[in-house]
Amino acid sequence: MGRIVLEKVTKKFGEVEVIPPLDLTIEDGEFAVFVGPSGCGKSTLLRLIAGLEEVTSGEVKIDDATVTEVPPSKRGLAMVFQSYALYPHMTVRKNIAFPLRMEKMPQSEIDAKVDMAAKSLNLTDYLDRKPGQLSGGQRQRVAIGRAIVRQPEAFLFDEPLSNLDAALRVGMRLEISELHQRLETTMIYVTHDQVEAMTMADKIVVLQAGVIEQVGSPLELYERPQNRFVAGFIGSPKMNLIEGEAAKKRGAQTMGMRPEHIAVSTEAGEFKGTVGVAEHLGSDTFLHVHIDGIEEHVTVRQRGNVNFKYGDTVYLTPEEANVHKFGADGLRID
Amino acid sequence: MANRTIPRLLQTPAVVLLLFWMLVPLSMTLFFSFIRYVLNNLRRPEWTSPSIENWRGFGNYQYVWNQDSFWLAIQNSILIVTSILFLTVILGVAIAVLINRSFPGLGIVRVLLISPFFVMPAVNAVLWINMILDPVLGLQGIAVNGINEIIAGLRSAPVVGGFFSLWPEFEPISFRATQTSAYAVIMMVTWQWTPFAVLIFMTSLQSEDQQQKEAATLDGAGRWNQFRFLTLPHLGRPIAIVVMIQAIFHLSLYAEIEIVSRGNGNKNLPYYIGELVNNNIGAASATGIFAVILANIVAIFLLRMVGKTLME
Amino acid sequence: MAIVAQHTKFSKIAWPVLAWVVALIFFFPIAYMVMTSFKTDADAVKPELLFSFTPTLDNYANMTDNYDYWRFATNSLITATFATLFTLVVSVPCAYAMAFNPTRATKDILMWMLSTKMLPAAAVLYPMIFMTKSLGLYDTKFLIVMVLSLINLPIAIWMLFTYFKDIPKDIIEAGQMDGLNTWGEVREILIPLAWGGIASTALLVFIFCWNEAYWTVRLTTTDAATLSKLIEGNRAPEGLFFGRLSAVSTAAVGPIVVLGWFCQKQLVQGLTFGAVK
Repeated sequence: MGRIVLEKVTKKFGEVEVIPPLDLTIEDGEFAVFVGPSGCGKSTLLRLIAGLEEVTSGEVKIDDATVTEVPPSKRGLAMVFQSYALYPHMTVRKNIAFPLRMEKMPQSEIDAKVDMAAKSLNLTDYLDRKPGQLSGGQRQRVAIGRAIVRQPEAFLFDEPLSNLDAALRVGMRLEISELHQRLETTMIYVTHDQVEAMTMADKIVVLQAGVIEQVGSPLELYERPQNRFVAGFIGSPKMNLIEGEAAKKRGAQTMGMRPEHIAVSTEAGEFKGTVGVAEHLGSDTFLHVHIDGIEEHVTVRQRGNVNFKYGDTVYLTPEEANVHKFGADGLRID
Repeated sequence: MANRTIPRLLQTPAVVLLLFWMLVPLSMTLFFSFIRYVLNNLRRPEWTSPSIENWRGFGNYQYVWNQDSFWLAIQNSILIVTSILFLTVILGVAIAVLINRSFPGLGIVRVLLISPFFVMPAVNAVLWINMILDPVLGLQGIAVNGINEIIAGLRSAPVVGGFFSLWPEFEPISFRATQTSAYAVIMMVTWQWTPFAVLIFMTSLQSEDQQQKEAATLDGAGRWNQFRFLTLPHLGRPIAIVVMIQAIFHLSLYAEIEIVSRGNGNKNLPYYIGELVNNNIGAASATGIFAVILANIVAIFLLRMVGKTLME
Repeated sequence: MAIVAQHTKFSKIAWPVLAWVVALIFFFPIAYMVMTSFKTDADAVKPELLFSFTPTLDNYANMTDNYDYWRFATNSLITATFATLFTLVVSVPCAYAMAFNPTRATKDILMWMLSTKMLPAAAVLYPMIFMTKSLGLYDTKFLIVMVLSLINLPIAIWMLFTYFKDIPKDIIEAGQMDGLNTWGEVREILIPLAWGGIASTALLVFIFCWNEAYWTVRLTTTDAATLSKLIEGNRAPEGLFFGRLSAVSTAAVGPIVVLGWFCQKQLVQGLTFGAVK
């Protein structure tokens, strides 16, 4: 079981309030991702759950038991750090066995568990090496191994992939997702990368300045962002957010349209613009279009290869049903 | 762990010990500096024990302030410290740049260069004042004697003899005298601490950006300009640190002064206090307080200069 | 230097030669002292025997008779060893707490500790004599151990602090998640990881203790007198005993100079409080 509840949790560093009162529930077995720009308090929130930081007020509950005063190791949680935080002076085997040794588990049991974890993570050949002799991806797996042998109530991941190169990151992303499917244990995952959030999460928690902007499934967030911030943050390429005449006409302060929800024509349309850059990815083409009176360029996604080049005049028309409208307060208007 | 008690507990012994070390003896010095307190006085035996009855106010300070020897000691302290700082930094930079390249025996050169730093100050002083600087038996005496003999020999030589007979006989210098003992101290301490400066500058030079230098070469900067505009600014921070650490150590030079001149030569402030402690405790304490004030002025100045870079 | 084309044949030879000359000049006084220690006292002052002489070990053999060397050396060894140990026992926990649980006061405390090094020792000389004499501690090894520890404590804490700061905080936190208490963190993580730093701190503190020449001279007479006191008390009246004096000096500094060779790299980081690496 691993149901984690935060009740009116706040955190102050000195006089600075990094987390204003915050409530959040993460259901047992859920894969929850905390996402937001750097400095939004997502890591702090994770550390509050882990017990590495003390809450200033409020309560942290795991399976209905209040753990606010419980030391980190007694909360039944395992954490994977951004830097992996392996013990550099111990072999892989000793690293993975360490939490079990601390629990004073009999050696034979420890060996069995370590071997099993190593097998499932493809680390069997590396058990007698030290972390310094491993590649980034292998270190990452050792860190995960150290976490899973404890059979925790929940796993906490603090930006675990940000030190890996792009190719490895995709692979590890899949491995962690698969691990979650297999173990069915609660996982809380912190990242600043919305692609990771979208691809891995059951539930995404978008944070900004310590405040939860929206909680929901990836598709909910994508299709119905509650406010301007979430709209601009979730999705790649970004949603085009336009202010002024066009938005006013629709009764909003800001209108948002995703790149794939814009029709392109060479003859007529709502906005007239010129192509700045056309990025050909093969499967898609991204057009970056400059429109008079709109400061930022508008990104348009076209399927396949479309033959536009720098300087071409194009007309853009949004799909009305998929236009997002936001009021002056930044909140969604339906 | 978020628990703040344990970290505090762990720091307590160190903080308490240092607090005790700083406060207790210093407050006693402060007290003694305001009373009449001498170790031997047959006429006024009541002055030989520290008592509030013997309150003298600022009398000790006044007394010390009016002593020429006090001002001379301050002057010597400053002369010795600044000379050593100046020499070690110049020599240190020069030698560090000199050995900042790869050549056969670099490892041995480094070991030879650093060695003087580990020689205990007492041995350093004994070695220099006797075996090197002694006007008769030391190397100085031997060298001066040798030169004089060569010149004497050349006087009787044909052709050039007339030229050499114009030369005076060289006199070896005695470094145990009042006017010269400070120079002996400066020499021996510079010998001991230049290696320290070299070591630190050398380490710092190794972290210098080579690409920056290559870029400067392409920009037309010669060797000297590279040194002047790239290397020297790069060494700014280590120089500040070398100055600070040496100031800490050299303001309290004692053994070297004691061994070189046994009180007959240039005295610095610690030595002056050391002499007063033999009898006039009140005056010694007042001088001590002056020394604390002087050290604080230097310390504030130095910590301002270096403190920030240390904390980065 | 970096530019190959700038290497002329001259500078390729001249600079290394100059470097060697400078190094030999700096080492010469030590070499001269070691050389003289193998001469008899009579030979030591004869200019004609400066470099050619018949070496003798008499000066070393007679060190005990002439100077009672071993008594002083034992005192030096005992006081420096125990002072180093005590310094570490106090400074390791302190530096650990400062490096991994810094508060806003930590920087100020560190600066204050450093500033205690700037307090002129001479200013508190008499109170120290007075206190230790009234407590019966004057000229005891215990006193010297305490004083040596106190004067080296700030440097030890600074050195250890800079070493500990290099250990990622994540690793300590991973240990906490895995169930370590404070003592466990120190034993399982800190000491194994910072072993090199702790060792070089110990080495440097030991060297400073061994060479200390103010308090060891002023607060001892016979029982706790160290090698500094021995040398200071035998400053060779008019150089009559250069041979034996050189021998005892060589014996006093030899071990430390060799020890110093091994820790010169750590010395830089330590003495500059990690500001130069």
